Formats: sequence, C-alpha cells, structure tokens
Amino acid sequence: MRLLKKLITVGLMVSILLSLAGCGKDENVIKIGHKNYTEARILGNMFSIMIENQTSYETTLTELGGTSVCFEALKSEDIHLYPEYTGTGYSVVLKQNTLKDPEEVYNYCQEQYNEQYNITWLKPLGFNNTYTMTVRRDMAEELNLKTISDLVKHAPNLVIGAEMEFLERSDGLPGLKEVYGIDSFKEEKGMDIGLTYAALKEGKIDVNDAYGTDGRIKKLDLVSLEDDKQFFPPYYSAPLVNEAFMANYPEAVDALNMLDNQFTDEEMQALNLLVDEGADPKQVAEDILREKGLIQ
Amino acid sequence: MEFIQFIIDRKMDILVALTQHIKITFFAVALAILIGVPIGILITRNEKVANFIIGFANILQTLPSLALFGIMLPLLGIGMTNAVFVLFLYALLPIIKNTYLGIKSVDPSIRESARGMGMTTSQILRIVEIPLALPVIMGGIRISTVINIGTATIANFIGAGGLGDLIYKGISMVNYNLILAGAIPTAILALLADGGLGLLENTLTSKGIKVSSK
Repeated sequence: MRLLKKLITVGLMVSILLSLAGCGKDENVIKIGHKNYTEARILGNMFSIMIENQTSYETTLTELGGTSVCFEALKSEDIHLYPEYTGTGYSVVLKQNTLKDPEEVYNYCQEQYNEQYNITWLKPLGFNNTYTMTVRRDMAEELNLKTISDLVKHAPNLVIGAEMEFLERSDGLPGLKEVYGIDSFKEEKGMDIGLTYAALKEGKIDVNDAYGTDGRIKKLDLVSLEDDKQFFPPYYSAPLVNEAFMANYPEAVDALNMLDNQFTDEEMQALNLLVDEGADPKQVAEDILREKGLIQ
Repeated sequence: MEFIQFIIDRKMDILVALTQHIKITFFAVALAILIGVPIGILITRNEKVANFIIGFANILQTLPSLALFGIMLPLLGIGMTNAVFVLFLYALLPIIKNTYLGIKSVDPSIRESARGMGMTTSQILRIVEIPLALPVIMGGIRISTVINIGTATIANFIGAGGLGDLIYKGISMVNYNLILAGAIPTAILALLADGGLGLLENTLTSKGIKVSSK
C-alpha cells in the first residue's frame, strides 16, 4: 500500500522533471508556422520544401490557431516565418481599410511591419485569396443573385454563417453591412469556417463568407457573389518573416523569393480542392513545385 | 466499414496525436495534483484563505480556454509548455475544492480520538484525514482528468498537437472520418482514464472505509 503511494509520487516527480528538461535551440532549424486550414497547410509545406530543397537548413512545421497566434509566435521568435495575406495584415493587424489596390496595400504593409515590428513581407506568391460571399446555386438562381448588392433586399430572410473573426472585424461583416446598406440578416451564426460550407450545402445557413481560392466553392457547386462595391481588400499571400530569419538565413530568403508570382487563383483553388478531397498537403505542395521546376 | 479502413490507413497519424494528447493531459493533471492537493489541505486550516483561493480558482475556471491560451502566448510562447500550463490551471479547481471538502468532511470526533491517542498534526493528516478523504479527493482528480482530456483538443491552436489536430483538420476539410478519428479516441481516452483512476482509488482506499460505507 504505502509502497504503491511512494512509487506513484516518485513516478510523477520524475516524469515532470523530464518534461521540463531540454528543449535546446538548434541554429540549423528554421521554424515555420501556419494557420489551421487547408491553404495555410499547403503553403507552410511549400515553404518547408523550398527551403530544404534549396539550402542545407532543416525545417519544422507547426500548425497554429489563427492570425493572432501566428503573429505573436513570429514576434516572440517561436517561429521564423508563416504565410500571411496582405489583406489580413492591412485590416486585422494595422487596422486600416482605405486602400484597395494590391500593390499599395502590400507596400503599406511592408513599410508599417518593418517600422513597427521589424518584420518583412517577402515576395507575394501571386494569387489573391480575398473574401467572397457564397450562396447555394439553386438559391442564387431563384433569387437572381449575382452580386452582393443583389443580396441586400433579401438579407432579412437569410441566415449568414461565418467565422467569429469575420462577424467581429470591421473589414468583415460590420463593415460590409455598412458599405452595402444591409440592415440586418435574419440571423448571424458564428462557427468554424470549415463548417460553414457543410452548413450552407445542407441549408442550415444561406450565405457564408468563403475564401476566394477555397476548393469547396467549386466542389459544393456554390456561387460566389461579386463584390461590386469593392469592399474587401486584396488578400495576396506572402511569407512573413522576422528579423532573426532575415539576418541568419539569407539563402532561405532567396529560396522563398523563388515563389514570387508563381500561382494563379485557379491553381491555388485546384490545390486546395485536392487536399480537401483527402490528399496530403505535403505531397500536393511537392508535386506542384516539381511541376513548375522550382525544385529538383 | 469505410471508416474502419480510414482508421487503419491513418493509424500512424492517430497514434502520434494520441501520444501528444496523453502527454499534455498527463503532465497537466500530474502538476495539478502535486500543487492542488497540498493547497487543498493547507487551506482547511484557514477559512478566509480558503474562500479566497477557491474563489480565485473559480474565476480561472470561467475563462474560456482559448482566451487563456491567448493571454499566456506572450509569456509561454507556443507548443507543449503553454498547453500544459493552461490545462494545469483548469485542472486545479476540482482538485483543490475536493481535497478541501474531503478533509473538511472528516468527522471531528475521529480527529479528536486521534489526538487523544497522542498523534501529531502531521500524523493525523497522513494516517487519519487523507485516507478518510481519499474517495472525495480522487473524485476531484477524476473530474479534472476527464475535463482536461476534452479541453486538450484545442491545444491544436497553439501548436501543441494532440487529437485536436485531427478534429480541426477534419472540420476544415469537411471530412467526417477525420473528425471522428480525433473525437472517438478522445472519448475512449477519457473513459479509460476515468476507469483507471477508479481502480486506483479502489486500491488506495483503506479497507475500513469500504466496509463502513457499505
């Protein structure tokens, strides 16, 4: 009896000590973070493959829950880089909403990030993953919806589902309602972005906020409504890297800049669909990079 | 059937996630036991402190775990350490509370007789109070562990892995098999942990109490 108690106590002590010991720093390892959805997983893997293929460094990949977690981790050097969108930097981090031109937004982000955080945007990958409002095809045909403006008069009868972030952000639903003059939807439901597609397909909600390059728009036969008032800022994806990375891994910076303008919206959508259908993000990233002759 | 095949195909991923999950919850609960039980015992000596500590732990319990992860981010960074620390905070309350209540509920006359037999305070604690309070203390540990196993699924948000990885991947891909591949092991793990701790409780509980409680 007593022996058992002692053993348990000692076991606990030892295991805790072991857990607290040893997480050494390795100069040779580049730590890549990415957000927790399909496109982010593919991009994280792309960065990892490019770096490992072009340089002698090793990489680790860590999935993190959203913009703020990634950004905090980047600032505190828990990670060296992660894929980010100019629109997210512009509206979420820098809290701006006036510029709409992709280049202007990128330059503004570059300037402010450098100044405020010592963080650099490398070259954008070429595709624009901006927000789009999507509806079921049958509903779009029935109500004759083509643009977000068409949505305005039907809004009081429609349920919108979106991720919490979108429901709160000024560059999300509140701003959208203001610009388009939507009083209110029948109901606003906050949920994981991934769940909104299934909910939309099953008729639990009528509108969702989708990402423009999401493969599921095609897969579930949804209709993207045109942002006719140009409310959403551009969301071009680029590696966001901190000072430690810029200073210590110049070859890796070059490797990532090889991705400059390599991908169109359609290509990215196709890659996302592959992964959503069950393909491995790493394999998908490797195949496309090889196809483009970016790796040997 | 298709689901079974899926599990077989992904068994390596599931195993890795499961191992991480067990690690996170084990360390969190173990730390909470090592710190919570002594606190629970200590505060039985002082009513005022007890109210304060339990009140404080109650407040911690009401904070959404995601918010707590966020608050701890600048301090503890990402990964295991942060996840273990936050889950440890969550595990504390039931353990402190139950330890406190367990020791409090020991019949004063038993304590008196122990003192009358010439036992010291620490002997009373070790030989009388803790053994008598053990079922209640273990109840707190069991609740903590089960809650923790569930909550640990959001360790995915701070890059600590665990079964939440499969669940969130599944959600973002609308892949029900993947969601279940994360959720079912989580549920089984919780049941097993609870059962295992029940057995442990049985082993540790002195025969006398079992007889008297029947």
